[in-house]
Amino acid sequence: MQSWRRKSLWLALSASWLLVLLRVFPLLRLAVPARPWAGAPQGWPRWLDAELLPRFSQPGELPEDDPQPPRGPRGGSCDWGSCFDVSKCRGGRLKVFVHPVAGPISDSHRGILASIESSRYHSISPDEACLLLRLEAPAGECSPVPPQWNGGRNHLVLSLHPAFCPQTFQLGQAMVAKAGPTVDTFRPGFDVALPLLPEAHPLRGGAPGQLGQHSPHPGVPLLALAEERGGWRTAGADSSACPWDGRCEQDRGPEQTHPGATLPNATFCLIPGHGPDALHFLQALQAGCIPVLLSPRWELPFSEVIDWTKAAIVADERLLFQVLAALQEMPPTRVLALRQQTQFLWDAYFSSVEKVIHTTLEIIQDRIFGASAHPSLLWNSPPGALLALPTFSTSPLDFPFYHLQRGSRPTGRFSALIWVGDPGQPPLKLIQAVAGSQHCAQILVLWSSEKPPPPRWPKTAVPLTVLAGQRKASDRFLPHTAISTDAILSLDAHSSLTTSEVDFAFVVWQSFPERMVGFLTWSHFWDEARGGWGYTAETANEFSMVLTSAAFYHRYYHTLFTHSLPEALRTLADGAPTCVDILMNFLVAAVTKLPPIKVPYGRQHLEARPPLTPGGPESQPPAQDCINQMAVEFGSMPLVSSRLRLDPVLFKDPVSVLRKKYRSLEKP
Amino acid sequence: MCASVKYNIRGPALIPRMKTKHRIYYITLFSIVLLGLIATGMFQFWPHSIESSSDWNVEKRSVRDVPVVRLPADSPIPERGDLSCRMHTCFDVYRCGFNPKNKIKVYIYSLKKYVDNSGVPVSNTISREYNELLTAISDSDYYTDDINRACLFVPSIDVLNQNTLRIKETAQALAQLSRWDRGTNHLLFNMLPGGPPDYNTALDVPRDRALLAGGGFSTWTYRQGYDVSIPVYSPLSAEVDLPDKGPGPRRYFLLSSQMAVHPEYREDLEALQAKHGESVLVLDKCTNLSEGVLSVRKRCREHQVYDYPQVLQEATFCVVLRGARLGQAVLSDVLRAGCVPVVIADSYILPFSEVLDWKRASVVVPEEKMSDVYGILQSIPQRQIEEMQRQARWFWEAYFQSIKAIALATLQIISDRIYPYAALSYEEWNDPPTVKWSSVSNPLFLPLIPPQSQGFTAIVLTYDRVESLFRVITEVSKVPSLSKLLVVWNNQNKNPPEDSLWPKIRVPLKVVRTAENKLSNRFFPYDEIETEAVLAIDDDIIMLTSDELQFGYEVWREFPDRLVGYPGRLHLWDHEMNKWKYESEWTNEVSMVLTGAAFYHKYFNYLYTYKMPGDIKNWVDAHMNCEDIAMNFLVANVTGKAVIKVTPRKKFKCPECTAIDGLSLDQTHMVERSECINKFASVFGTMPLKVVEHRADPVLYKDDFPEKLKSFPNIGSL
Repeated sequence: MQSWRRKSLWLALSASWLLVLLRVFPLLRLAVPARPWAGAPQGWPRWLDAELLPRFSQPGELPEDDPQPPRGPRGGSCDWGSCFDVSKCRGGRLKVFVHPVAGPISDSHRGILASIESSRYHSISPDEACLLLRLEAPAGECSPVPPQWNGGRNHLVLSLHPAFCPQTFQLGQAMVAKAGPTVDTFRPGFDVALPLLPEAHPLRGGAPGQLGQHSPHPGVPLLALAEERGGWRTAGADSSACPWDGRCEQDRGPEQTHPGATLPNATFCLIPGHGPDALHFLQALQAGCIPVLLSPRWELPFSEVIDWTKAAIVADERLLFQVLAALQEMPPTRVLALRQQTQFLWDAYFSSVEKVIHTTLEIIQDRIFGASAHPSLLWNSPPGALLALPTFSTSPLDFPFYHLQRGSRPTGRFSALIWVGDPGQPPLKLIQAVAGSQHCAQILVLWSSEKPPPPRWPKTAVPLTVLAGQRKASDRFLPHTAISTDAILSLDAHSSLTTSEVDFAFVVWQSFPERMVGFLTWSHFWDEARGGWGYTAETANEFSMVLTSAAFYHRYYHTLFTHSLPEALRTLADGAPTCVDILMNFLVAAVTKLPPIKVPYGRQHLEARPPLTPGGPESQPPAQDCINQMAVEFGSMPLVSSRLRLDPVLFKDPVSVLRKKYRSLEKP
Repeated sequence: MCASVKYNIRGPALIPRMKTKHRIYYITLFSIVLLGLIATGMFQFWPHSIESSSDWNVEKRSVRDVPVVRLPADSPIPERGDLSCRMHTCFDVYRCGFNPKNKIKVYIYSLKKYVDNSGVPVSNTISREYNELLTAISDSDYYTDDINRACLFVPSIDVLNQNTLRIKETAQALAQLSRWDRGTNHLLFNMLPGGPPDYNTALDVPRDRALLAGGGFSTWTYRQGYDVSIPVYSPLSAEVDLPDKGPGPRRYFLLSSQMAVHPEYREDLEALQAKHGESVLVLDKCTNLSEGVLSVRKRCREHQVYDYPQVLQEATFCVVLRGARLGQAVLSDVLRAGCVPVVIADSYILPFSEVLDWKRASVVVPEEKMSDVYGILQSIPQRQIEEMQRQARWFWEAYFQSIKAIALATLQIISDRIYPYAALSYEEWNDPPTVKWSSVSNPLFLPLIPPQSQGFTAIVLTYDRVESLFRVITEVSKVPSLSKLLVVWNNQNKNPPEDSLWPKIRVPLKVVRTAENKLSNRFFPYDEIETEAVLAIDDDIIMLTSDELQFGYEVWREFPDRLVGYPGRLHLWDHEMNKWKYESEWTNEVSMVLTGAAFYHKYFNYLYTYKMPGDIKNWVDAHMNCEDIAMNFLVANVTGKAVIKVTPRKKFKCPECTAIDGLSLDQTHMVERSECINKFASVFGTMPLKVVEHRADPVLYKDDFPEKLKSFPNIGSL
């Protein structure tokens, strides 16, 4: 019995031991990381003697290599440093001479010539120019080697159309700007890649982008495929797995074919890389359809300066399925950004032949400028490099457009620029009103009267400087070096403003530094009867221009006005004083694509018409005419109408006047 | 318990059969089993804990012990580098199909020691830098040890310095790698290419289609979009401690610190020094240094001795001249010192030029313009110089300072080519952290005035106030630009009224039922929203006139990236409490608008629902308050712009409503709203709201003009 009990005790003990062991060991095993298997990640070994390994180069070896003599250009191959003589560009500025073409020239050719001649780079003498431009005729008529060819040095051979005749002469050291160059022959940093333009591309202005809204409409198909015949085929998201090779003809489903060169209506546009499909590329850009280029064999247009990753997707055609999957999963934020960038680029650089030519020259000028060229930000964000001149500044902070991107603000004060024409009455009251503003930094009087300026000026809290004007209306927009602030308050001698009006308008301007903020407005309209544009100073529910006789704007617009507008336009503006106002409004609207801003003006009913108003359409035909001439020069009507006015928050509210900061604004 | 019962049942049946002499046998057996089990357990357990204390993942070995591979004299040599190679011709992307994270997978061949037929080594087995480089790749996300899943192969054959290897034999060694296949998808790292006397600008080892990450490319050897230009690593980066000095004017304007400069160039430099005196410093090798002083760390001018690289911090611009090779390690030292490099090396492809914008950090001067260099540099404004100094230092910190930084940037570039839709942007590569932090990239940056014809979608959030809801619907439907009405029915316990009971309006009306009564339902990006403009409106906002709403929509068209609303509110800093305060008094400023009635872009619905920082969305849903403040924060934060308050409207209280909410209720409300502002500001890490002093009114608002001629005569009161 005792042995039986002992035995059972033993058995119980060992059984429980067994249980414990079986239970506990797996747990212990979990607690300890597993032993590496043969196939588990095995990184690069940590060598025991890693610290003792020799250096890849012995100290002293690097700096003491044999120095090499300077090298010249290598035969046959050119780059900017070796094949372009920058020293010919006097003062570091680009001047372009166009070789005359013998014989009759086509209209488009003439247009290109005109657009170069109207640009700020044009030079009439080949000796003065540092870039000699040779225009290739579109129809394959090859002209002989021009006289000052000089082995092609400092030459640019520009061909907007792929037809190209290299047989007639050796390119030598000439740069080539042509449409859709193949990747293999393109010399980065030397050649310029142009877009392939359709035959009927507008010379100037050009059609605006087709994008009506920022985000894609929910019903719009995801993909459009470029077809060989030039059209587009749209495909829904479900059938997108079928490439264009036609292998999945059966399950095409909701696809449809657009004949002709219509613009695609989709979020992404698939463009195969073989052949000159650059036309499709431009169409997609205009339509705001994000181009998805599959292994393009051609260099993207202006790739030297344009960051195409912001507007297009260049993918490998061999990974098509991954690409399509990535497109479908692309976050809305990215789609939104890409879409908007296509539109900006189209508008800034591609919508007209003139813009393409000017962009080409701007790129070459940037190479000449070196360190003072456009920063990348200026090329790749609105309004684009053609409208942001590096001669003004290379720092984005000096321009009115980039404050948000750089997290900065314009300077907190303004300069009042008072234009005094005949009869030459010093605007003493106005000076006092403006100088009374806490934001005023200086007062500049631009004396443009025949009468000499008075020797003595009233004492003001801020410095007052008198500048001598030359009696030309466009003088007031010269980039006077005396202007020390970002903001300019442009005034006429007979303008009348109160300090409170000035204060409020300036505070508003600080929120919109790229726009004009003014008191008196005009609006433009399409005159059916005359078949042209007209404008009026009548009180209306909307406006599109503010008078520069009392307006805030950024000083950069003075530089732009003087240096970027064609000479012809400025001469036109000098002819009729009101035209200067219109021209400035055109310019700012063309840059911002936005209307100006109106702020309340107390004496509205007393001076409903500024002294320079055109009255009716009949009274001053030249002024009415200049709006039409400008529209022609700009290529389109840039003015945008607005229906709002920015008032102080408590403006004319039935609350105690003591609460209001700008109470004097409301006095009749 | 259960087991013991079983034992009790089974035990008596088993044991009586046992004989006494078997007892010992049984006990022994059990002990053996027990011991065996314990031993197995220990065996499984102990060795691990011993290994895990050390690094058992990798065997500890010496480089000297690696396997030796003898290369037969007649083993194949790869073709010379193919200059026409591009990603789409020479690179096999099919290997990169497996890409869960849009990152390429990189395999590293194991280390071997190669000897030729007679047993003479082909090169140094591996240099310290190349070992560092491979370690960095191995530790990165790119690494895979599965050769079949790899997209890119990195040989362990060290070709960083061409001078240390035998060209033909190294090529043979490359050719016998297991996946060589003409070098497809193989990446070689080389910092010092070429050798005397002609110093080629790319590695001379025949490598067929292999990609080359090279440190001295010229435009003639660099295959654009295929090769990667990398810096020449400066060993001083690790050896010397050089704290950031920050931008600003420095003692010398221009400094040349290179020792081996061609006499012709040195003449030019000396001439510059003679002309501009103190502001130019041209240094040279020290000739009479005492024993034990490292000559690489000293530079001399006549008898004056300068410490290198510290002296670089004394200069604004530093010359980086071509030597025998185009790529110079001095570039790295110069960048580190925050000195703007003046690169005088025609046709040199600057490091990582595929992604880095060198215009922002350097000045490139053609060799023939060397004598004008002073004038060129002086024309650069001081502000730009400081910007460049900052940028130079940032480039060094991000892409030059270690072998690891160089290796990872190279792989990132190649990876971005293969997965372009996930590539890093220009800003991510180039903007220093301070700029990245302070800049705002407005998601709606294109100045685009949406066409009026598009109209807007009104979204009415409602719970059960049907009568009031119907009034709102009727009122809103009178607005000309309304294109659709969406009712968000937030009451799960009650069905919305039958179709026949709803007011008949001229635009489509849709009712969306929600799964939960949450405030965030009002900002959900419903598929039903087809227009870009959204009018969020509460089911009790009946006081807004049709003119007021239509005008609001037109204002939104001019400011499509902003919140456009009616009553404005303000945030203020409470100096006593040291925190933010919500203000609904009639002030001269606004920084928020109430979303009880506000126009905004539908994209902000997406942001609110999916991209709201922190826990704000859930917090708002839990507290049933402040969704409008959250929306104001969100929009101001991504756009950097202020709201637009429209018309004089100050509150949403209808005139006929009686004042039921007493003073105390008002005050708790204010306290709650203030708390919201403080909470959101801390989550956002900043106060994004912008204060403005203006509101938008119709052009002729309250002007002395016949009312009937005004577009929006009925703008309503406060």
